[in-house]
Amino acid sequence: MIFLYIGLPLAVSAVLPLVGKASKRVLPDILANTVLAGLLVYAATGARALLAQGPVIQQVRWLGEAVNIRIALDGFSLFMLMTIQLVSLCIALYSINYMEHYGAKANYYALLLVMVAGMNGLVLSQDLFSVYIFLEVAAVASYALVAYGLGAEELEAAFKYLMLSVVASAAVLVGIALLFGMTGALGFDAVAAGLRLLEAKGVAGVAAALFLMGFGLKAALIPFHAWLPDAHPSAPAPISAVLSGLLIKVSGVYAIARIAFQVFDLPSALSQVLMWMGAVSIVVAAFLALGQADMKRMLAYSSISQVGYVVLGIGIGTPLGVAGGLFHLFNHALAKGLLFLTSGSVQQATGTRNLDEMGGLAKRMPWTAGTNLIGALSISGVPPLGGFWSKLIIIIALIQTGEAALAVIAVLASVLTLWYYLIMQRKAFFGKLAEQWSKVKEAPFWMTAASVLLALLVIGTGLWFATVFSSWIQPAADALAKGF
Amino acid sequence: MTFQIILLAAMIAASAFAVLARDLLKAAVALAVSSLILGVIFFRMGAPYAGVFEISVVAGLITVLFMLTIALTKQGDDVRESKTVKIAFPLFFLVFALIDIFIMRGILAKVPALEGAAEAGTFGEVLWKERSFDLIGQLAVILAGVLSVLALFRKRDRHDHE
Repeated sequence: MIFLYIGLPLAVSAVLPLVGKASKRVLPDILANTVLAGLLVYAATGARALLAQGPVIQQVRWLGEAVNIRIALDGFSLFMLMTIQLVSLCIALYSINYMEHYGAKANYYALLLVMVAGMNGLVLSQDLFSVYIFLEVAAVASYALVAYGLGAEELEAAFKYLMLSVVASAAVLVGIALLFGMTGALGFDAVAAGLRLLEAKGVAGVAAALFLMGFGLKAALIPFHAWLPDAHPSAPAPISAVLSGLLIKVSGVYAIARIAFQVFDLPSALSQVLMWMGAVSIVVAAFLALGQADMKRMLAYSSISQVGYVVLGIGIGTPLGVAGGLFHLFNHALAKGLLFLTSGSVQQATGTRNLDEMGGLAKRMPWTAGTNLIGALSISGVPPLGGFWSKLIIIIALIQTGEAALAVIAVLASVLTLWYYLIMQRKAFFGKLAEQWSKVKEAPFWMTAASVLLALLVIGTGLWFATVFSSWIQPAADALAKGF
Repeated sequence: MTFQIILLAAMIAASAFAVLARDLLKAAVALAVSSLILGVIFFRMGAPYAGVFEISVVAGLITVLFMLTIALTKQGDDVRESKTVKIAFPLFFLVFALIDIFIMRGILAKVPALEGAAEAGTFGEVLWKERSFDLIGQLAVILAGVLSVLALFRKRDRHDHE
């Protein structure tokens, strides 16, 4: 039952506030983690087996009667479902300890599950309007989660995020209305067929530009990135991890990739725009990250830069390029999730996010420092970790298509990435331990466990990259390039 | 046509008042008036379902929620508002008007369209048979809203022991 990916988290989130009345901590912890673990196991086993015969369109039945809910699963959506459940599960595990001091844990998990349900729904939609609605489901939950700490900084960041996100939604909605007005259809394939029949390149171009702006804002691509460096650092650490690791990719990159390929059939102009938007994001955000003293803000700028790689890869449009982009999406989801979680551990232990005040923390927090280093090296593209392979594939795909200039940009920006991550390592974890941190302790069990789990996944993806690539990434790229 | 323009102008005026009004109650009422007019415009343009929703949900239900919330807040919870709102709002308005006049109108005149009947079938058919997946999404949006309110208006208790 693929519908479980939407129905189960929604149903559980509806009862969670009531469960929270009976048990403030234990039951919500168990319930949220079990749901996410169950969905992850199902994605890896049942749903994968279901796909063995090709893409699945599922008709939902209610009391034996068919209702008109049709959700579709192909290699691309299964890959996204896997990534979403995997990272969300690690984040929910981390939250067991981390969210203790925020209070109202049941509510927190409920919002997290609604956000997961929204992302799952978006990934399973085959229809422009459903994409829009599930985009909003995830977005509404994320506004509240950014503001969860209720401090002035959090509320301001959430408000800014809300305002820009509304502009994004409006652009997407106008784009959908334009296509609906032209073709009278909303399904991806029906709209694509209508567009082929009409041959109205100009208006289709306007709709594509609106989507680029809307989803570009959601993905925080430059020049639509202004909200992200405020919103992501202000949220509680696990939520920063979901936003940077998953949400910008699902509601930004996934949506634009799906629509560019399946509705617009990726014309070469759109491909060029995507590639250059990606390249500009990579470079500009990397330079901006260099100058940051706030640990989480540096990570936030790094997210913009790395999403640039993903969009660059997908924008190439060749099977190899798309596969490289998707592989980098996966690697970045794991590594950035890990980095935000460890930054949360550091913040909780020291009470600061300012890199200049830290130093020598590796002596007091060896697990946090070690896992942070693994995440940083993977994102910077150091072999044999996952990030190295995905960047390599993107660069090879660029050279194959004769985009040498972009390939050089991708390589040089990777050096920049390594540079700012080394600055972070040096300032936070290495060097002399400052007097004031001599009593700092390692993060509690579940926080460390979640970081270690993600770090192992990062290492595993790198070491067994051929297996991961052929069993998960390649089918996803094929599904995207081939269309549903 | 003239009536349509009057309706549109009234809607914009009501919306502008909703943004600029200092009194929250007046702002909520102005918003309700604005969506009521939008509902009428939907009816006149042959989209009765959209009109029904606009009037029942936005003009009705949401206004009631706003009123309740305003009634529950204490007097004297004044928030000082930045002066930039007064400048920013007309500026945005002008930009949107210019986009509308110079770009959207040109585009919409040139949009080719396939034959197709919008909003075919009865209300129930459209809602339950055609777009049931969206209905789940909409329920989820409402759920997300309720949970957000619960989370953001919770009592901040840093030591809520079991």
